[in-house]
Amino acid sequence: MKIQVAGPGCPRCQMTEKNVFDACAELNLAADISHITDRKQIQELGVWTTPAVIVDGKIVVSGRIPSVPELKKFFADTGKAS
Amino acid sequence: MEWGAYLVFLLQSGLGGLASYLAAHVLLCLLPAFFIAGGLSALVPKDAITRLLGRNAPKVIAYPSAAMAGSVLAVCSCTIVPLFAGIYSKGAGLGPAITFLFFAPAGNILALAYTGVALGGDFALARVVLSLTFGIGIGLIMALIFSRDDQAHAEAADTGFVGGEGLTSRTVLFLVLMVGLLVFGTLQVRLLLNSYASFTIPVDGLDRAQDFLFRLVPFDAAKGEEGVSVQGAILIGLLLLIGFSAWRGLGRVHEGYNRWTWVSLGLIGLTLLVAAVRIEPRARGLDVAISGKAFGVLLTMSVLAFMARKYFDAYEIQQWLWETWRFVRQIFPLLVVGVFAVGIIRQLIRPEWVQAVAGANTIFGNLAGVVFGVFMYFPTLVEVPIAKMFLSLGMHPGPLIAYLMADPELSLQSILITASIIGRIKAWTYVGWVALFSMISGLLYGQWMDGASPVILTTCLAGFLIVLTGSLYAIGRRKEAVVRGVEVKEVGRG
Repeated sequence: MKIQVAGPGCPRCQMTEKNVFDACAELNLAADISHITDRKQIQELGVWTTPAVIVDGKIVVSGRIPSVPELKKFFADTGKAS
Repeated sequence: MEWGAYLVFLLQSGLGGLASYLAAHVLLCLLPAFFIAGGLSALVPKDAITRLLGRNAPKVIAYPSAAMAGSVLAVCSCTIVPLFAGIYSKGAGLGPAITFLFFAPAGNILALAYTGVALGGDFALARVVLSLTFGIGIGLIMALIFSRDDQAHAEAADTGFVGGEGLTSRTVLFLVLMVGLLVFGTLQVRLLLNSYASFTIPVDGLDRAQDFLFRLVPFDAAKGEEGVSVQGAILIGLLLLIGFSAWRGLGRVHEGYNRWTWVSLGLIGLTLLVAAVRIEPRARGLDVAISGKAFGVLLTMSVLAFMARKYFDAYEIQQWLWETWRFVRQIFPLLVVGVFAVGIIRQLIRPEWVQAVAGANTIFGNLAGVVFGVFMYFPTLVEVPIAKMFLSLGMHPGPLIAYLMADPELSLQSILITASIIGRIKAWTYVGWVALFSMISGLLYGQWMDGASPVILTTCLAGFLIVLTGSLYAIGRRKEAVVRGVEVKEVGRG
């Protein structure tokens, strides 16, 4: 699974990244996590409001900090679908 | 005067300005305003608004929504840039993006509350109405001038929308109540100012303390300066305590509530209450009068606390408090430094200079206001104490509004960032229009303040807007026809 966190490096984005890591750890998920900070790249992903979390190319959260349980649900759902 | 003494005098007037600001204005307006900003940032799903800014949104919806996005989502400039880029490149296009960019600095809750309390409700109202009207106007003009480019851009962009939940009624109610708290705290009406009960706390020597404070922070009422009262001193003390406890309580609230969280929340409630009652130091003790304001503040705070417990889960409240603290930490230190600096600079500027340049509502005066706004860069909200300084030094309200319109919208820094997103030609065209419109706003507002009939002014403004819209519409139709001849447009638009 490919998980991308998009955000220009603000404190909210760092917190999102931390929550993503925590969620993966709790699920024992070996995911490819990257943090995208480049504005152009963020735009190309179709993200308007940061922080955003993108799972396998699909934006699941945008403009707010997702909680760990919420992220776990997203990751589990995507895991099942693929 | 000797240099050393002069330096002490300058420092004293800086500190005096700071102290009277913290004591008098800031509390009842900025404290709730920061909480509202935090709430908007943490609790309002951004999709609810950005959804209205899609590529296919009709103009009637896109422009007002862009303005709304400006006031609701973009509380600080760090959110403005990505959102602006998003609206421009993936969403409704150049016009609404410009409206958003223009309205955001003037229409957000912090700027509004602060302007209203420091400069007066009429300035706040003028700022909102003028920047809303002209924000949409400039957006439409820009969209029209560059309509060809925008069309090409639309082809390249795709809509990357996430479906999300909308605004829930509990969030709306929660935010409305906080706005109510702000209004109760700042509105000067009889019902709220009347005292309904009073008691005396017997403490000796407070009248001497008051004298001491007035001597410590000298002020000149004729210049519009304010001294620090005993109540003000108590409030400043409470603010310091809040700062300390919030650092440990709210700064780490995302890891869970701790004892400091409750301490700081309690202190904030107490501070708002102390600021809402009227305190008079007497020889025998402290007279405390409970005004309608205090009742209002207490009632709204209780309802808010109840709602927070009952209708929001712990995670949401944590996010809210964290965001609020983040805003405070980001904006407040700069504001403190700014107010301090303004207190010093005030002594260095001669009123005659300001009056000579912008003492009357002339084209030159308004232009001076705009130019000063463009070339000076002040952090968020610092434009307000600066405007207040100019006002007390004798600047006419017209040029002052011109300055207030131009300063947050345009600074060399923001022009450069904007240019990197929409291109240099568009950015400078935007700057030109903003300068022009800021000047017109200043002239109109100045005329109004000078006693010109509001009917005539409204007619002038309406006439100007009608001519503008009319010609834009006519040019737009012609351009659209040309574009249509070249390429087949989407079905269902015409």
